[in-house]
Amino acid sequence: MNLITLFLSALLINNVVLNQFLGICPFLGVSRNKSSAIGMSFAVMFVILGSSILTYFLYHFVLVPLKLEFMDLITFILVVACFVQFVEMYLKKMLPSLYRSLGIYLPLITTNCVVLYVCLGNISANYNFIEMLVYSIAVPLGFALILIIFSNIRERMENAKIPAPLRGNPAALIIAAMMALAFSGLAGLV
Amino acid sequence: MGFLVPVTMMLVLGGSLGLVLGFAAQAFHVEVDERLAKVTGMLPGLNCGSCGFTGCAGLAQALVEGKVAKVGACRPCKPDIRAQIADYLNENAPEGAAKVTAD
Repeated sequence: MNLITLFLSALLINNVVLNQFLGICPFLGVSRNKSSAIGMSFAVMFVILGSSILTYFLYHFVLVPLKLEFMDLITFILVVACFVQFVEMYLKKMLPSLYRSLGIYLPLITTNCVVLYVCLGNISANYNFIEMLVYSIAVPLGFALILIIFSNIRERMENAKIPAPLRGNPAALIIAAMMALAFSGLAGLV
Repeated sequence: MGFLVPVTMMLVLGGSLGLVLGFAAQAFHVEVDERLAKVTGMLPGLNCGSCGFTGCAGLAQALVEGKVAKVGACRPCKPDIRAQIADYLNENAPEGAAKVTAD
């Protein structure tokens, strides 16, 4: 029951994009069409899950025994940067079309603060291994959910009559605000 | 001497991650057109997106493959650099490829 609560609250109530305002750059950058939004969601999901497992073991089996807990930020960012490089190489070889459609946003996953937020959050909340796994799946799922919904809305907005000064990013930000309002209605769920 | 432990730990961690990446780079090696890196280097590198591609590398690829014939698609690029890129692409173009213009 506790795990379900953790999952739902990380997915919907404390949604990273709409409630914590993290990862706004890819949220606006790759939401222009559905296919790259879906690709980005999977890349972020893979990076977050992988790097949070790695950093969890790094923290508990290296940093804690050496009494270097204060080094968590600097070692975690190293692991995240390496992991993103690895994903980039893999996509370039295996899925070149996805690699091209993500473009500059792929290396920018390194600076997607959601990744570091999950890694540090796992440690500061003292999660055990199972809770850590649930949390690091729920947070990127929340990110993916919002990104995919948003990219659908933006594809339809292409055909809408929007006043010229608001076309593009301004309208997108207004939509994002409305989505945040709508999602805040889920706050009483858990 | 309290700094020795963290410094050694960072060295070991950085070294082992670097090794993993080095092996991955060999395992996932992809042959790329050498013109691609050259053109990407000559473009301004602002990744502004005004050409309609995701980043400068996207435009460079389109130029090399002949999908875009005008270097002028890159708005922030200086005129003399545009001419350089067009010259380079025309000199190194495969047989029978369409000419690239600087405007």
